[in-house]
Amino acid sequence: MLVKKSLHSLTGKLIITIGTLMIAGSLIFWYFLFRYQENALIEGSVKYGYSFVEYVRKSTRYGMLAYQKLIIQQTIEAIGSEEGVLNIRIFNRQGRITYSSNKKDIGTILDKTSPVCTGCHTEDEHPKDTKTWSIKKEKDYRVLNIVQPIYNEPACYTSTCHFHPKDQKVLGLVEANLSLALLDKSIKQQGIAMIIYVLVFLFVISVVLCTILWKFVSTPVSLLAQGMERVAAGDLDYQVTINTRDEMGDLAKAFNAMTLDLKKAKDELVEWGHTLEKKVMEKTEAMQKAQAQLIHSEKLASLGRMAAGVAHEINSPLTGIVTFGHLLRKKFPEGSEDREDIDVIIDQANRCSNIIKGLLGFARASAAEKTLINVNDALSSSLNIVRNKADFFNIKLIINFDESLPPVKADPSQLQQVFLNMIMNAADAFDGKGTITITSRTIEDEGKEFVEIEFSDTGSGIREEDIEKLFEPFFTTKPVGKGTGLGLAVSHGIIKEHGGSIFVKSKLGEGSSFFIRLPVYREYKS
Amino acid sequence: MTKGKVLVIDDEDIVRTSCSRALTPEGYEVKMARNGFDGLRMIEEEEFDLVLTDLKMPDMDGIEVLGKIKEEWPGIEVIIITGYQTVDTAVKAIKLGAFDYIEKPFTPDALVSAVRNAFEQKKR
Ligand SMILES: Nc1ncnc2c1ncn2[C@@H]1O[C@H](COP(=O)(O)OP(=O)(O)OP(=O)(O)O)[C@@H](O)[C@H]1O
Ligand SMILES: [Mg+2]
Repeated sequence: MLVKKSLHSLTGKLIITIGTLMIAGSLIFWYFLFRYQENALIEGSVKYGYSFVEYVRKSTRYGMLAYQKLIIQQTIEAIGSEEGVLNIRIFNRQGRITYSSNKKDIGTILDKTSPVCTGCHTEDEHPKDTKTWSIKKEKDYRVLNIVQPIYNEPACYTSTCHFHPKDQKVLGLVEANLSLALLDKSIKQQGIAMIIYVLVFLFVISVVLCTILWKFVSTPVSLLAQGMERVAAGDLDYQVTINTRDEMGDLAKAFNAMTLDLKKAKDELVEWGHTLEKKVMEKTEAMQKAQAQLIHSEKLASLGRMAAGVAHEINSPLTGIVTFGHLLRKKFPEGSEDREDIDVIIDQANRCSNIIKGLLGFARASAAEKTLINVNDALSSSLNIVRNKADFFNIKLIINFDESLPPVKADPSQLQQVFLNMIMNAADAFDGKGTITITSRTIEDEGKEFVEIEFSDTGSGIREEDIEKLFEPFFTTKPVGKGTGLGLAVSHGIIKEHGGSIFVKSKLGEGSSFFIRLPVYREYKS
Repeated sequence: MTKGKVLVIDDEDIVRTSCSRALTPEGYEVKMARNGFDGLRMIEEEEFDLVLTDLKMPDMDGIEVLGKIKEEWPGIEVIIITGYQTVDTAVKAIKLGAFDYIEKPFTPDALVSAVRNAFEQKKR
């Protein structure tokens, strides 16, 4: 994973801020530590300086008491030759150098303003008469200057040798200049070491800080940023994997929850769009179907009207054929061939008559006289007509009427005609034996109430390719003279005229079911 | 002596002759008119016992003819000849006073028996 880094990033800013604070803090800290240590070292040096001067004083004490000048001079020279000792000088009260590790100095009188004197004698002030120290800078090292007064003591003024009066408090000074080169060197070394420590410390801290920031801030932040980019680009399945228990983890959780919500919302939208599309498609399809059906039934209706017109015209010539046929028939003796021929003419004319009766059904469909009726009653009267027919002796009739059927507005004789046709068709569908089940019920379809009548038979069934032709006029599979193919066409016309529908379900060899739906009449429609 | 006088009103020649040919051998005297006006004029001129009238005719239809006859000559029986299409109207016609209706195409026997029934009714 590639994570961009720059000084403008959060990590960069944090590192710069914390780094600056660390550098400043540690510089101040180390500076004071350094100063403290230096002071401590100098204090040590001063202590050492004091004891050194005390040592010089004690070493020369005997020489002083005995007034052995040579011994004093030699002792001082010996001590002065020690390493780190620059010089040792002894002054008398008047400021004259009486002894010195540097012989050339002996006899020189120091001015009252020389640093040795000003250590005690400041103007207007009573001399302090105590030991003092100071540090001055030489070319490349510092020099510790110690001055200690030599006090008068009984041994001095009781000594026989010379002249110190008893009332004198300070007899002279011992001054020593000690080199601090060693000290400076060690301080310098310590400084360097400290700088190295500081640098190492800063480096380590920076590395640790960077790592921590990288791990806990920078990486999660850029992961989140990346996630947002992905989500913005439309990848709503993307989930940020930050499992820490800190604010970053919370942020990632919140982010993931948000993405999930977004996804859900988007899915819902898409789903909604899909269902809308589907619904539109379904509705369009239904509308197209309805339109096709409308066109189809309109076609059937106009075909019917035309057929009815033709039929009516044909009725009169048929009357002539039938009448004159019968008249002619009477002129031939019973059983004669001519008479039989004329019988054929009459039979065929009757067949034409039947066809015409069927065709005239179309005209009837549009001249319906509708009243409120119970469909069960119309069914019963249709059944009464067929029940006693010889064809129905081997047919089992099962009746399932819904006794609480709501009324429909319909022409009863037309409904009877339809029902009769259904029953006759069912009876024709088997060779003698079979079962016809007639059921009436109330159903609801698309919020509308219908009375549904089902005619089921255990007959031959209907071939798939025939089903769509069933309702066309003159479609029949029955032998010539037996069926006209108008029954279903007329039934269809009648049911349509009543605002209902008729459809069929069939399985070849198992039987068929015809369904008729008529809208329920409701006086107070809300 | 004839069994009675029958007037056939129909716009179709073949129906008129059919009726005539079926009824004449049975002993009825049959006259024919090609429309309602002619028929009514003939009834005014001579007496008829029975009128057979087609229901669907141009200008004046059978129901109108029936109404006129029942209004002016209530003694004349009327039988309506009808196509299947007009059965409902035929039923209405019976309510208006027609004796019977007969559907086209009819057999001579059916016509004769309908006419016979009408005359029997008249005798009573
Ligand atoms: N219950 C059924 N079982 C099997 N086939 C049927 C059934 N009902 C109708 N059919 C088929 O539909 C065709 C058309 O029926 P329709 O009632 O329109 O005419 P038809 O019965 O042949 O003649 P018509 O009713 O005029 O006497 C029938 O010939 C038959 O093939
Ligand atoms: Mg049928």
